[in-house]
Amino acid sequence: MYAGRAATARGARPLVVALGLAVALLLAGCGAGSRTPAATATLVPCDFPPPPSSVDVNVLAYNSSAIDPFTNSMVRSCSRDGVTLHHEPVDYAGQSQKATATLAGRYGTYDILETYGFVVPQQASTGTLHPLDDLMARYGAQTGLDRLNPQMREALSYDGKLYGIPMQAQTFVMAYRRDVFDRLGLTPPRTFAELREVAGRIQRDGGIRYPLALPLLASSDVATAYDAALGSLGTDYVDRDTGRPNFDTPAAARAFTELRSLLPLMDPQVTTFAQPAVQQQMYNGSAAIAIMFSGRMLDLTRPANSRFAADFAFAPPPSVAGGNVLYNTLSVDGWAIPENTEVDKDLLFRLIAASVGEESSRAAVPAAFPAREGMVTPASSPFAAAQLEAIGRASPPEPFPWTSRISNDTRPVVADVLAGRTTIPDGQRRMQEIATAIVAGYRR
Amino acid sequence: MSTVQTAPPATTSGPSGDDVPAPARRRPRGRTVLVGGLLLLVCWVMLSPVLWTAMSVTKPTDVAFLDPPVFTWTPTFTAFVDLWQTTEFYRYLLNTLVVALISTVVALLIGIPAAYALSRYPGWVSVSLLIAALIFRALPRFAVVLPMYELSRSLGIYDTTFAVAAALVAINQPFSIWLLRNFFAEIPKELDEAAMLDGCSRFQILWRVMVPLMGPGILTAGIFMFLFAFQEYLTANVLTDVVARTVPVFIATQLGQTLPMLQQAGAAAILLTLPVVGFAFVAQRYLVAGLGAGSVKG
Amino acid sequence: MRRREFLGLVSPSLLVMLGLLLFPLYKTVEWSLQRVDYGEPGTFLGLDNYTQALSDPRLGRAVLFTVGLTVAVVAVLLVGGYLLAVLVNGLGRSRPWVLGVLLVSYVVPNVVGATMFSWLFDSNFGGVVNYLITELTGAEILWFTEPWANRVMIGLNTVWFMLPFAMLVILAGLQGVPEEIVEAARIDGATGWRVHWHVIVPSIRGVLTFVSIISIMDVLRTFDQLVPLSPQAPQIGNESIMLYIYNIAFQDGGQQLGLGSAINVLLIVLIVLLLSPFIRDMAKEARQ
Repeated sequence: MYAGRAATARGARPLVVALGLAVALLLAGCGAGSRTPAATATLVPCDFPPPPSSVDVNVLAYNSSAIDPFTNSMVRSCSRDGVTLHHEPVDYAGQSQKATATLAGRYGTYDILETYGFVVPQQASTGTLHPLDDLMARYGAQTGLDRLNPQMREALSYDGKLYGIPMQAQTFVMAYRRDVFDRLGLTPPRTFAELREVAGRIQRDGGIRYPLALPLLASSDVATAYDAALGSLGTDYVDRDTGRPNFDTPAAARAFTELRSLLPLMDPQVTTFAQPAVQQQMYNGSAAIAIMFSGRMLDLTRPANSRFAADFAFAPPPSVAGGNVLYNTLSVDGWAIPENTEVDKDLLFRLIAASVGEESSRAAVPAAFPAREGMVTPASSPFAAAQLEAIGRASPPEPFPWTSRISNDTRPVVADVLAGRTTIPDGQRRMQEIATAIVAGYRR
Repeated sequence: MSTVQTAPPATTSGPSGDDVPAPARRRPRGRTVLVGGLLLLVCWVMLSPVLWTAMSVTKPTDVAFLDPPVFTWTPTFTAFVDLWQTTEFYRYLLNTLVVALISTVVALLIGIPAAYALSRYPGWVSVSLLIAALIFRALPRFAVVLPMYELSRSLGIYDTTFAVAAALVAINQPFSIWLLRNFFAEIPKELDEAAMLDGCSRFQILWRVMVPLMGPGILTAGIFMFLFAFQEYLTANVLTDVVARTVPVFIATQLGQTLPMLQQAGAAAILLTLPVVGFAFVAQRYLVAGLGAGSVKG
Repeated sequence: MRRREFLGLVSPSLLVMLGLLLFPLYKTVEWSLQRVDYGEPGTFLGLDNYTQALSDPRLGRAVLFTVGLTVAVVAVLLVGGYLLAVLVNGLGRSRPWVLGVLLVSYVVPNVVGATMFSWLFDSNFGGVVNYLITELTGAEILWFTEPWANRVMIGLNTVWFMLPFAMLVILAGLQGVPEEIVEAARIDGATGWRVHWHVIVPSIRGVLTFVSIISIMDVLRTFDQLVPLSPQAPQIGNESIMLYIYNIAFQDGGQQLGLGSAINVLLIVLIVLLLSPFIRDMAKEARQ
């Protein structure tokens, strides 16, 4: 055995050092959990009759500057009178995975769910979300929900029923470096052709090798990007009248060629970038133009995150071929109640109402674009004007249960085509097959 | 195995300390320096991911992940303070510790008798149990954890530290049985027989005679169980949600975040690493001693 | 030892393993024969999931990648672990420090370690390895999208966190090598690597087998580290079998629990096949 008392004493020293260091670091922040969102968020009115026994309410919502204000206000303001709200920090991928798990089957962990227009039809059509029309009729007027934007309510409805209470809308916004644009005498591009031109100029100028940054993560964002390009060309996934998928149309091919034409302007590893990675490119100054959801824009304007915070300017995203519809996605985010929750749904509805109420929504500006008229004005934030223009120029949503399934199932093909591993015609053919099968499953 | 046969310490040229055994064989000095240098390099390479992360999380947020990286900065511990104060990190840490401690203690309590029996009961039953344990050790996690998810849901213990600890006891049981069984095999059977002549029952032999002799073995197995439980991600991720979340799960759900939360995730990684590093420094001697005591003959 | 005593001592452990390992395993086999969603009873399909799994070229690629990674990593672990153990074994006072430092990568959770590792290589996050390579050679390596570069990075990471265990076990084995046989070999005129190859390595064969078994098991189940290290693993053929299962059975959009279970069963068969030579050896030895 490795013996000797001296050796033992010596061996213990590293432990003491390491533990001491750990303790010092922990103590550096003593007052554990003293500044959690539950302690610091904006207090808003949250009224409900106290439940007969204490209730725990679990809230699932990913963290981003635009979602956090709504979540945090609700958690802080409504945790009282025997009700305790719990919200654990989670990233977007984590939320998607947990939402699927909690909605499946008899058991669910979560009682309030952040959801968005794109997936509501699929979730609603499988009966996993609770319809909210009755609750809306009962409490809507007294909680001010009747003043929520009607189009946004529509976006969270399926088959004539309301399944989500909208909190905010997100659109694509283009962020660019005003200093770089000014130096080269450039103006924000309005079409993909101009985008190529502008980004090409920056690239040739040197300094910034890959001026353009889009989130094109192969396992997620790439599907949204393709959908946005297709939408800007005036084409839906599936024809609304005939129910025939559109992946074999010239527009479907054009969407690919246009997206591929941007690749030389982007980091070669762009298919591994989600929105946070794109934000990082902008923080670091390794890109000069980024297009992503408006909810990610406030982060860019924070000097703590980037030395270029003051240099960022914002514009609506360009359109692919010059039409009125931009390379854009309008996503309406809102709160839903899972059918399998065991908590009183009347209570849950009133918590949600507090989260999207007048005060809470006002406090969310400028990080978010709340679902209430007139909250955001061009003066609200550096990107508010761009956001206001972009919001009216997105392709109309496709509120069908097959939309998100087609998006999911064709995503690997889109990734392969963008990476050049599959030709465009081959990719179109496979996507058409996948989509036809999915739609047929619903029509039968 | 007892004293360590050593060359002189790689870098010192002065007289060696009193308690260092005299070198068995003089090596050429150049070679010693070479060996020392090589080991230093290996250590540095092995530590580099942790060091680099430690550097990133002590940089100001706006240069934390700057490309090209900055190499001079004024260190700040803001990320640590923010992590500690704005998230419930302390709770995740507590959960992780509870899971690790419970699962280690239970794994040893049920593993020790089983391993003892397997080392003393010859024949095909023992052999097939050991082989079964070996195959259990090799099972892909999903094959066990996804059904465990359903099971814990229907038993109403989903999202509790108890469920995670129970799962880890089972998952790590094969390894601890094998390890402990090899330790027991090293203890001569004559000792059992002598104790039996004195009128001890098997259980008494185990607790009064064997366990005291097994100090290093039990320590080694315990260290491994603790480490396995402390690091476990997949099981904890599938079996927890809100209440029983552990640190590895917390960090994993933060990796898709942007600044400043991403930097806090790095800080969390460092905070998780520091105590286990201390643990590793203490544990290494017992691990080598314990493993060397015959545990890995098989 | 009497049978009754044996059963009494073994049963707590056995019950835990039966209840929490064998029962789940049974469920997995059952699911593999069904079309099933989480929390709902399945419908019997027969072997459809297996035919579907076996006809998917993605599974073939996943098996190839996983087995390739296993072979490469285990080889490096055996050689590297041995060399490192010999070096460490020669140390005096500095040994606890060196061992402590070397164990760090082993005690960090995989997913966390892999994230730290990825930050070294990620140019978007100011990765220092990338930076140095570009500074020194001018080359820019696409660690996350170039299949072979990505494989190298995954392999390095796997070696990084498994090497300490291999080294530790081999080091423990070296303590058990009787000094006499080494001396005897030297007296016979054997020098340098010959002593190692002809004397020491054969005498710690059991230890090396143990390292191989544990490493094979663990690399075949590679999963955690791919999440940060290979964000587009399916696209570049670097999807491990476990990641493939995760993607189809758990990931957003893929809820094919039955198919995932069938692949789990196939993976178990593969693991048992690859381990069977070792299992035979062990059975023989354990019988003694």
